[in-house]
Amino acid sequence: MDISAYILILISTIFINNFILARFLGLCSFIGVSKNTVPAVSMGLAVTFVTTMASIITWLIYYLVLAPYHLEYLRTLSFILVIASFVQFAEIVIQKKFPGLYKIFGIYLALITANCAVFGVAVLNTDTFFLNGVAVAGSFIKSVLQGLGAGLGFTLAMLLMSGIRERLEYAEVPRSLKDVPITFIIASLMSMAFLGFSGFKI
Amino acid sequence: MVWLEEEMKELIKFGLILGIICLVATLVLAVTYEVTKPKIEAQSKRGENAALKEIMPDAASFNEKEIGGIKYFEALKGKTIIGYCVTVVGEGYGGYMHLIVGIDQVGVIKGVRVLDHQETPGLGSQISEVKPGEKDPGFLRQFIGKSARTVEVGKNIDTITGATISSKAVTSAVNKTVNEFLAKMKR
Amino acid sequence: MKTLGEFIKGLWRENPTFRLVLGLCPTLAVSTSVVNGIGMGIAATFVLVGSSIFVSLTRGIVPEKVRIPCFIVIIATFVTIIDLLMKAYAPVLSRSLGMFVPLIVVNCIVLGRAEAFSSKEPLARSILDALGMGIGFTWALVLISAIREVLGNGTFLGKILTANFEPPLFMILAPGALLTIGLLIGIMNYFVMKSKARVK
Repeated sequence: MDISAYILILISTIFINNFILARFLGLCSFIGVSKNTVPAVSMGLAVTFVTTMASIITWLIYYLVLAPYHLEYLRTLSFILVIASFVQFAEIVIQKKFPGLYKIFGIYLALITANCAVFGVAVLNTDTFFLNGVAVAGSFIKSVLQGLGAGLGFTLAMLLMSGIRERLEYAEVPRSLKDVPITFIIASLMSMAFLGFSGFKI
Repeated sequence: MVWLEEEMKELIKFGLILGIICLVATLVLAVTYEVTKPKIEAQSKRGENAALKEIMPDAASFNEKEIGGIKYFEALKGKTIIGYCVTVVGEGYGGYMHLIVGIDQVGVIKGVRVLDHQETPGLGSQISEVKPGEKDPGFLRQFIGKSARTVEVGKNIDTITGATISSKAVTSAVNKTVNEFLAKMKR
Repeated sequence: MKTLGEFIKGLWRENPTFRLVLGLCPTLAVSTSVVNGIGMGIAATFVLVGSSIFVSLTRGIVPEKVRIPCFIVIIATFVTIIDLLMKAYAPVLSRSLGMFVPLIVVNCIVLGRAEAFSSKEPLARSILDALGMGIGFTWALVLISAIREVLGNGTFLGKILTANFEPPLFMILAPGALLTIGLLIGIMNYFVMKSKARVK
């Protein structure tokens, strides 16, 4: 039970290998929804919820079904179907049972199915925490932590970017750079800043 | 109750259509997998064989064996064992890395090769990069002739600038696994 | 010819990367070398064309409500096929592209075209659209990879250009990718705006 390993995974996924700024997973939503802080953070929370749950479910599928029966080639198909179904299901349940929550992040849930971050973290979990088809020590907890960290890192990047973009409204951005290009350039600077975290290891 | 039945009928119809498509998809994939499986396995064997030959060019043949969970190859010249090639799994900066270390009977390193890694391109990936005009990766060359029991970053192995963790990962993995291997062989 | 237009639009006017701003994740992650860029482009085009064929063919059969999961299954199948093929016949490329080959399944371009076009258009048009988008995606990838590889690694297609160049690692790492695509989209926007102004 090496706590430091688990803390390291969280820190690594949120800061060092930030899903948006270092791994480039989740960019479409990042560019699209980061104009204002409230929708940005709402989207972030929705993504965090889905990445964590998806990590749990896909890990179980891989551990119980795919790996033991050597069906790893069905990973893409099964994972994406499970994620899509889960998102649909979650949207319906949240809409009915937790309307307050639905108001906060419900509408972004549908967009998340195609979000690279969710599918990406599921694939990443099975790539890093399984060696030759066998789960490594603490694989499940590590996968869940990586899923949680992915979502939190995503939310962090969204929060930072939306804060900057809100200020950007008052700046004089050249016409051809407006909206998308300037967002990328800012993201590039943020990514450079986050590079400062690399090399951190406990 | 009529509308409920209608909904159920629709759901069943949808489920069936989706189910059939999934079934067809799975069959197609199973076939593709079986067809490509031998080629995929052969590819990984090729990488391994190439590394073995590079590390121990004198060996005429290699005998794959396993001891206590460590996969290794006996390097043979005719009937005599001239050394061993031990497969090593290391934990690098970006994920697991697979290496092969060639040693003689007492653990002196004849060569190291990286089979695959997930290190940062441009930095950690230098552990397996060959500079133009040279034949083998510069970083791995410094292992040759040293005893695997005592390789240690800072003592007799220099790290790659900007890739300390990757360098340490390779070194400690080699040290640890070869020590384990030699201990198991003694018994 | 309107039909040819379906193919051409993916190359420039509706280029998925620079104008539609879709499929960014693999574009930035994979464009560290031109070889990777071409490889990913070909893989994505394979999935695009393959899935567009079947999505278009099942146009009448698949009911509205289940269409998205059905498209996903079709796309996932083609992604797995190309993944297995690459592991068998191009293992080095497969390893460089890593998890981004399976990630083609959530590439917005693929699902987007299936939803917006192939599910509504006949077979020939769908194939042309998919091909155009695929090739448009590929040349965008190659452009970005070329810039990043030349400036960040001093090589092109793996061959060293000049021996005296110590490349700024920045271009190969994450920030360089974001900066490159930001500037490229900006430049393209500038030219599009100019040509629109000229038309007026």
